[in-house]
Amino acid sequence: MSFVEEIEPLKEGALTELKAASDLAALEQVRVRFLGSHGKFTALMKQLGSLPKEEKPVAGRLVNQVKVELEAALADRKSELELKASLPKEPTDFTLPGRRRPLGKTHPLTQVTEDIVRIFRRIGFVVADGPEIENEWYCFDALNTPADHPARDTQDTFYLNAGQASSLPRSAPQSSQLQPAGKMPPRLLRTHTSSVQIRVMEKQQPPVRIIAPGRVYRRDNADATHNPTFQQIEGLYVDRGVTVGDLKGTVEHVFKELLGDEVKLRFRPHYFSYTEPSYEIDFSSSLTRRMGKDWLELAGCGMVHPQVFENVGYDPEIWSGWAFGFGIERIAMIRYGINDIRLFYENDVRFLRQF
Amino acid sequence: MKVTFNWLRQYIEFHWTAEELAERLTMLGVEVENVQKIGGEFEGIVVAQILTRSLVSGSDKLSVCRVQDGKGERQIICGASNFKPGDKAALILPGYALPLKAGEKEPFVIKVRKVMGVESHGMLCSPKELGLAEEAEGILILRDDARVGQSFAEYLGRAAGDVVYDLEITPNRPDLNSVIGIAREISALTGNPLRMPEVTVKQDAGAPEGAQASALRVEDLVAVRIEDTELCPRYTARIVRGVALGPSPDWLRNALEKIGIRSINNVVDVTNFVMMEIGQPLHAFDYRLLANVGQASPLSQSGGSTLATMVIRRAAEGEKFTTLDGQERTLTSEMLLIADETRGIALAGIMGGRNTEINAETRDVLIESAHFKPTNIRRTSKALGLRSESSYRFERGADLAICDWASRRAAQLILETAGGALAAGVVDAFSKPPEAKQIALRHTRSAALLGVDIPADQQTEYLHRLGLEVTTQPGIAPTTGVRTPHSTIFRIPSFRVDLKREIDLIEEIGRLYGADKIPSTPPRAAIGSNAYDAVHDEIAEARKCLTGLGLHEAEGQTLISDLALRALFREREDRPLIALENPLSSDMNVLRPSLLPGLLDSLRHNLSRKNERVALFEIGRVFVEANGQAQEGRRLAFAVTGPRYPLFWSGNDRRASFDIYDLKGMLEEFLEQFGLRGVSFAVQPECRGPYLESAAVLLGGKLPLGEFGQLLPAIAKQYDLRDAVLMGEWDFDALLARRNKARSFKPLPAFPSIRRDIAMFVTERTTHEAVLNAIKQAKPQALEQVELFDVFRGQNVPAGQKSVAYALTYRQAERTLTDAEVNTIHEKVIAHLKQALQAAVRE
Repeated sequence: MSFVEEIEPLKEGALTELKAASDLAALEQVRVRFLGSHGKFTALMKQLGSLPKEEKPVAGRLVNQVKVELEAALADRKSELELKASLPKEPTDFTLPGRRRPLGKTHPLTQVTEDIVRIFRRIGFVVADGPEIENEWYCFDALNTPADHPARDTQDTFYLNAGQASSLPRSAPQSSQLQPAGKMPPRLLRTHTSSVQIRVMEKQQPPVRIIAPGRVYRRDNADATHNPTFQQIEGLYVDRGVTVGDLKGTVEHVFKELLGDEVKLRFRPHYFSYTEPSYEIDFSSSLTRRMGKDWLELAGCGMVHPQVFENVGYDPEIWSGWAFGFGIERIAMIRYGINDIRLFYENDVRFLRQF
Repeated sequence: MKVTFNWLRQYIEFHWTAEELAERLTMLGVEVENVQKIGGEFEGIVVAQILTRSLVSGSDKLSVCRVQDGKGERQIICGASNFKPGDKAALILPGYALPLKAGEKEPFVIKVRKVMGVESHGMLCSPKELGLAEEAEGILILRDDARVGQSFAEYLGRAAGDVVYDLEITPNRPDLNSVIGIAREISALTGNPLRMPEVTVKQDAGAPEGAQASALRVEDLVAVRIEDTELCPRYTARIVRGVALGPSPDWLRNALEKIGIRSINNVVDVTNFVMMEIGQPLHAFDYRLLANVGQASPLSQSGGSTLATMVIRRAAEGEKFTTLDGQERTLTSEMLLIADETRGIALAGIMGGRNTEINAETRDVLIESAHFKPTNIRRTSKALGLRSESSYRFERGADLAICDWASRRAAQLILETAGGALAAGVVDAFSKPPEAKQIALRHTRSAALLGVDIPADQQTEYLHRLGLEVTTQPGIAPTTGVRTPHSTIFRIPSFRVDLKREIDLIEEIGRLYGADKIPSTPPRAAIGSNAYDAVHDEIAEARKCLTGLGLHEAEGQTLISDLALRALFREREDRPLIALENPLSSDMNVLRPSLLPGLLDSLRHNLSRKNERVALFEIGRVFVEANGQAQEGRRLAFAVTGPRYPLFWSGNDRRASFDIYDLKGMLEEFLEQFGLRGVSFAVQPECRGPYLESAAVLLGGKLPLGEFGQLLPAIAKQYDLRDAVLMGEWDFDALLARRNKARSFKPLPAFPSIRRDIAMFVTERTTHEAVLNAIKQAKPQALEQVELFDVFRGQNVPAGQKSVAYALTYRQAERTLTDAEVNTIHEKVIAHLKQALQAAVRE
């Protein structure tokens, strides 16, 4: 057998053994056997020098070619076996549950509030705030709901025990006429966020463009639709030449953003002592129809009553404006189909995680 | 308030269906909360008389009849044979449905149909078809006295069909608490005239038995003395003598019962009817029970002097009075009484007295129609906890001008339903009828506010339809409003107590024009400003950090129990609490001074529902009294309990529970991300307040931000919590004030760092902070960071000691440190630790 004739069988033998090596150790043995310093192929290469001069170029080329081929085959097999070695003994069960580190969730009422705030901010409103402990001036009198007004009946109020010394600020001059000097005005928990309207208007000149979310309190026993604590959001816009048309336009914009374009809204004349004209806003959508109702009450609104402007020192001949308010829970209940307001205050994590 | 479709139609013409009426009223601001159809199950069924009967040609069973339905004749095919011409039967007209019977879903509607080529315009009904019997042979033959054309329901003595509307009347519109008030709104909407009932009373015509022939005048029988004309500006009295007390006629009983008022007797029912009709509360007294009248045929002695006197006075302080409902009430001098010369006989405007109520023996009736000051009625009603249809109307404001009309109307109806004779005239104590209000309206102003151009004459027309009259005389000064060349002055009718100024007229115009027709204008661009706006975002940012840490946001009750609070904070609960003056229950009687009671309640709720892993935070307001002032502040609180991780199926620490370092880790991460630097922790004494062990959180070494720790197990048990509860509460306003929101970029290190570890035994008392301080005292150069990576006690650790291991990272910002340099620095640190902490450093 000539030198050249020996190359091919050796190569075939090496390739067969490479393929047969079932792990990296066996593969290493194969490599040593053929390509190691005492390996069969190495030995063959060493014979190259003893060949006749005229055979050398062809044989040399052939031997080198095979060597590259074998080394490549070895590398391939090696990465194949390495991959095999890194696989677990049993394949991973990808249906097993992953190791979760759950995120916390913001409360659904926070989420709804944030959505409403975002919508209003896009049209130039800013968020305002006020205390939850109020006096009658901010909660009622300044809002054109004097004592003995039947409208106070609809908002059953929690009164607080008297403080010791002169307490809440009474910045409005009118309040001193209502309260004899030296007598502590009774303190109460605000029954609506409308008190923030007065606080903001007393402090700043028009134009005013605010929304005020927050907790309010009514003396209602807790049931599926009542909780003594609940949350409202109030919007107030005061400027020159503000009309009912502006009120309607903004309210429609906000609720379409909030509840979807398909909702229909209607403005039903109503009565609130601090706005005139006043309206209740009803909405109609596939949701209300699913609930078996054409219309569902959503919010109250109206044009700021001139008496309210006078109470805060705005001239109603120059300024006009609108206000509206609604319950956050109510929106959340409508939006998510929640049927019991108490769920919001139980903080059951199975509930909180749903939103 | 309730009204019915048919009752309304007595005063106003309209052509709406029951549903349309509800819609119209609702959109006018009179919200219809409920619509209930009553009676009407025999709608379209009338009494008819069979005139002729003959067999349909080609049939031996079917007959063709001519019947009279009261309006005309019609042809009917009938399959029954139990009748003859002249009989009266129940006929259902085409288009109407037979009563629904058990098991039927769709009503069976009668249509004009052809049977064997002959048309039938209706159907003669069998008792079964009418739902009056289970089985029946042939049609129902009615009694001979049945009136042809009469509704079948009426024949049966059942109320005819009607629709009852439950209306929500807003407190500003007392005039709508009456059927005529609602009819007036419909009149304004349609433009059709309001038909007021005609009130004509025959005065003492037929002299009653026992009375003298000469006409008696009411002022001979009773005088009225108003002692407080502010509380009672008007009082009228009429007297009907010789009434026959008894049940009310059907129309009256039905009218009241449909709207939910119990029928009592003809006289009382009339007073209630008139109140519902016009909105003026009335009261009927038994005249003979008044002082000085007596039982002995008083009317015969009416020679000259008045017999009884109605005195309208304040009650004496502590005066006792028994109202109609049999309750004895103790009055105050703020309360107004109707009295005779000897005693109280009615609580003015609220409820009559037992001593003079209409009873079976009543023969002579005194009708009171008066007016009382709304605020006084409201206060008395509230103080006594006594509300009535009457007080409801007076406290909202009745119509001062309608007293006499209502009195006459009641007299008319008593005469009609109970007979008797009306004493001539009226005693009408009405000192000073007030001037009608005159309000000026600038028509341009309505357009400006409503945002729609409504022509001036259209505006005037709307107001006119509501009963407002244009005052044309020049020189009249309006009560309110601005008189300009283009304004109109309106005289306000007395029943509209809500119309006080220009804006009230504008509202009316908008209402009648229709809110739905006012075009919406898109939101206008403007920029608002308020200091709180940025704070709102900061709170939102905090929430974002906290939820990222795996905490759920909770919303707790603001109102909590003082007992639960004291049980939680124990001897530390000495904060001046703000208590409710009128709590709903002792569970909710104070404003929360801390968020923790609420969070623990939520933990308990979750555990009771087998949610074992609970991690909550709340950002909310708390309330305390400080220097006599209510102080509101925002707090942040955490509470966690149960397994640290959700259930998992492998791993050594998978069943670990939350411990204090979980809570502290959350707090540290939050404070750092929220921008608070220089926070330190000071250990507090054991068993302090709600905590087993706790630490104060300080800013800059001294400003207390709050505290955290593990809840005392005994308290946890009270909340049914088994695992350790870790919780804490911090002053969120202080966090907001002290946070550093500024962020600046620090270049990432360009040169490598070198890490050296130290493992050592230190005494148990040596805190981590002490180790850090000791390292700091060694003043090691280029020390970038110190990290604790192991704390160990037990095998091979001497008693009273612990093994701690720290990784120290050294780095020089401007060059690569050499090993030799680091070794020198590190040796110094070790030497100092050995000396300062008596640490046994393990090499």
